[in-house]
Amino acid sequence: MSKVNKSVPLEYSTEENDLKIFGFWVFLGAEIILFATLFSVYFSLVDRTGSGPIGKELFEMPPVLVETFALLTSSFLIGLGVHAMRIGRTKAMMVFYILTLLLGAVFLGVEVNEFLTYIHDGATIQTSAFLSILMTLLGTHGLHVTFGLLWGSSILMQVKKRGLNAKTANKAFIFSLYWHFLDVVWIFIFSFVYLKGVL
Amino acid sequence: MKELFPKEHVMGFVGSLVLTLLALTVIMFKGMSNGVAITILLVTAAAQAIVQLVLFMHIGETEDKKALYVTIIYSVVVGLITVFGTLLAMVWGYM
Amino acid sequence: MNMEELFAPMKEPMILGAAISIVVGAIAIVVGLTYFKKWGWLYKNWLTTVDHKKIGVMYILVALIMLFRGGIDALLMRAQTSVPENKLLNAEHYNEIFTTHGLVMILFMAMPFIIGLMNVVVPLQIGARDVAFPRLNALSFWLFAAGCGLLNVSFIIGGSPNAGWTSYFPLAGTEFNPGVGNNYYAWSLQIAGLGTLMTGINFIATIMKMRAPGMKLMKMPMFTWSALITNVIITFAFPVLTVALALMTLDRQFGTKFFAMQDGGMDMLWANLFWVWGHPEVYIVILPAFGIYSEIISTFSRKNLFGYKSMVMSMVVISLLSFMVWVHHFYTMGHGVMVNSIFSITTMLIAVPTGVKIFNWLLTMRHGKITFTTPMLWALAFIPIFTIGGVTGVMLAMSSADYQYHNTMFLVAHFHYVLIPGTVFGVLAGYHFWWPKIFGFRLNEKLGKSAFWTIVVGFNVAFFPLFILGLDGYARRMYTYSADTGYGPLSMVSFIGAIAMAVGFMLICYNIYYSFRHSPRDENGDPWDARSLEWATHSPVPEYNFAVVPKINQLDEFWYAKKEGRDITAGKYERIHMPNNSGAPMWMAGVMFLFSFFFVFSVWSLVIVFGVLTLGFMAYRSFEKDDGHYIEVAEIEATERRLRGEK
Repeated sequence: MSKVNKSVPLEYSTEENDLKIFGFWVFLGAEIILFATLFSVYFSLVDRTGSGPIGKELFEMPPVLVETFALLTSSFLIGLGVHAMRIGRTKAMMVFYILTLLLGAVFLGVEVNEFLTYIHDGATIQTSAFLSILMTLLGTHGLHVTFGLLWGSSILMQVKKRGLNAKTANKAFIFSLYWHFLDVVWIFIFSFVYLKGVL
Repeated sequence: MKELFPKEHVMGFVGSLVLTLLALTVIMFKGMSNGVAITILLVTAAAQAIVQLVLFMHIGETEDKKALYVTIIYSVVVGLITVFGTLLAMVWGYM
Repeated sequence: MNMEELFAPMKEPMILGAAISIVVGAIAIVVGLTYFKKWGWLYKNWLTTVDHKKIGVMYILVALIMLFRGGIDALLMRAQTSVPENKLLNAEHYNEIFTTHGLVMILFMAMPFIIGLMNVVVPLQIGARDVAFPRLNALSFWLFAAGCGLLNVSFIIGGSPNAGWTSYFPLAGTEFNPGVGNNYYAWSLQIAGLGTLMTGINFIATIMKMRAPGMKLMKMPMFTWSALITNVIITFAFPVLTVALALMTLDRQFGTKFFAMQDGGMDMLWANLFWVWGHPEVYIVILPAFGIYSEIISTFSRKNLFGYKSMVMSMVVISLLSFMVWVHHFYTMGHGVMVNSIFSITTMLIAVPTGVKIFNWLLTMRHGKITFTTPMLWALAFIPIFTIGGVTGVMLAMSSADYQYHNTMFLVAHFHYVLIPGTVFGVLAGYHFWWPKIFGFRLNEKLGKSAFWTIVVGFNVAFFPLFILGLDGYARRMYTYSADTGYGPLSMVSFIGAIAMAVGFMLICYNIYYSFRHSPRDENGDPWDARSLEWATHSPVPEYNFAVVPKINQLDEFWYAKKEGRDITAGKYERIHMPNNSGAPMWMAGVMFLFSFFFVFSVWSLVIVFGVLTLGFMAYRSFEKDDGHYIEVAEIEATERRLRGEK
């Protein structure tokens, strides 16, 4: 491996590591555009409900608040996890990461339940343009969270098996960037889909 | 134990909870006009995004920070152009 | 879909003929590889490579093959429309052919050609040993190949897409297009698009982080600058396409209502999303060509590029403005004067930075010592001919006037007058220019010049009449017209021009064969006496690019080093760390090809299988332990001695 830089945190410490973090930030820029496009479609189609229900009739705030609190807390916890990693507390890091993923699972559970409720009430993805984009926007975010659970679990397995080294620290840090990003997207969904929808 | 809970992170978490509550005021106060509501939502969401970027994602911690800020700002600008351009051409243009 | 519907296209003799030739060709390749015992060589050296130079060559090879596919489509169209009421192609065929022509030429010819050239040249120009993420780079290529393969399979199994390369709804929806053709559209573009997005991220990281010591951003070669800006546009434009295609798939295969004509759907939203991506896309294909022209014009005028800073600034401005003009592709869609005026202004604005570049190229040539090599000829032809395309673009930019020009042959002539002199001449120039770097010999100049003249004259004969026909009212995408429109004579002229272009491209191919056999082999790596770093290393280039990474003090450091008698490649050898080859990118793209193929046909059980396998490949990569390998000093010394021609 090329030179090791001891003056920066482990996840940045090799040239490859530094490149990977930089590349991931660029990827996040692309993801911002992806979600911006979905939002453009949402705002264009939000009032086009055909014969189907409007947002106000569908959205229930309590589960939305649970989802929001779950993601916000998980974002806080993974931040603590990265900090623990930087001060060499591997076990604490793993605990924080596991809690993060658990809260992610809670988020998904509530969201799946939300979708099932809509479908049960006859509001499916095929009912109207509004419902199509609502479920696609929420679903895309949810799929990203799901992928995150798989990715995060595989990183935890590697940390457990191989310990905390330059490679595993790098992966764990990049995963945290992903997770924080998903939280930011949720904040915009929370504000401009749910809150705006029930105004 | 205390070293596991750095001040910045705890403050950031509290900040995002406060901002979420602030956003909730738009549905708690019935008399609020649409324009004010949207403004509050925009400001709180943007503020939370900045909290995440700076305090949690440490965007400013390396020598790449200039390139990273440019990347994020560029994508936000293009994203906004996409959203508002689409609304302009697809919705507002027909009003 | 039952077997009969699946293979229905083959009832047509032309399609059956094409299918048979593909099968025969494939068998010939397999037999040849087996007979010459080259499977191992192919797998080890090409299919599993992560070397940017080889990946670039593969991109360009596929692009050249696709150039022929798209060219044949073009010849068929021109033949069909050369006389009124022609019976060569019926309407349905014509639709499939102009759709495939557009898709192939833009996405499977122009994109891989420029991405291939960026792959070959950029790491060498910045003094790097490879790109930032070599494995990802290989995956990008194989995903592109998978998408390309998917589109090419469509016309023999199931039917080609037929709603234009722009695939507007509601025509592209299942009500008017119930077959699988437009499912192929969605998936071939989606898969190839993922590969391109990865390239965007890869090259931004490479150019921002892996430059040779001392090479600050404003000391980079202009082609690398153009590559950086292009990859920024790629990274921020392609996610829009990803979303649009996903929504198209959902509408066509899952009954959603995004672009539907009932239940609140908005069919015109597709056109909006497509062009939010589509306009930046055309700048993606043109900016690298501008970069190539900058390199060639300065090299063959033996002068510094005039106005370096304004060249950089103009590309930065173009990149931002390119996201702000897209509505000019559908001024006539009905959203009124205010919207049209805003976008007319932004569209006219974007002509300004391009104009700056034209003047800079002209001023570069002024007082220069010009040599008329083949690459230089392409660059010189580009300037006036592209300008015609550009000014007709400003005509089209005026929304009120555009109501007359929109979707006529005038528009078709405009975009061919910017795409062909811009992108196609550019990649042909670049391919001639950098060919000796990769292969160690130059392409034959006489053949190159003959091809050049044939294509340039043929191009103008083929496309200039279309301006006139368009102003006369000849609409695009029409499979025939009646004799009393009077479109016949100029259409015939256009067909003759197209034939000339075909002859020119065949000369280009013949040049490859001829030069392999007869061109003198280059002893040093700098046959053109050029300016930038890629010419400072050997031809062909060793795996590690540079034995010693040069230190850079100024723009065109190599040029000045030559003048001052310095060897910028001198220095102490150290062991070099290089990435390992891997078959995973190819296999993973193969799995994703199968995933999308079965998705096109809604075979859900297999879709799930291949989807899970795709995730499996990602998991494999995550758990993989791969630290690359070292090239030791002794091996570097031996390679360097061999390449310098010493025994």
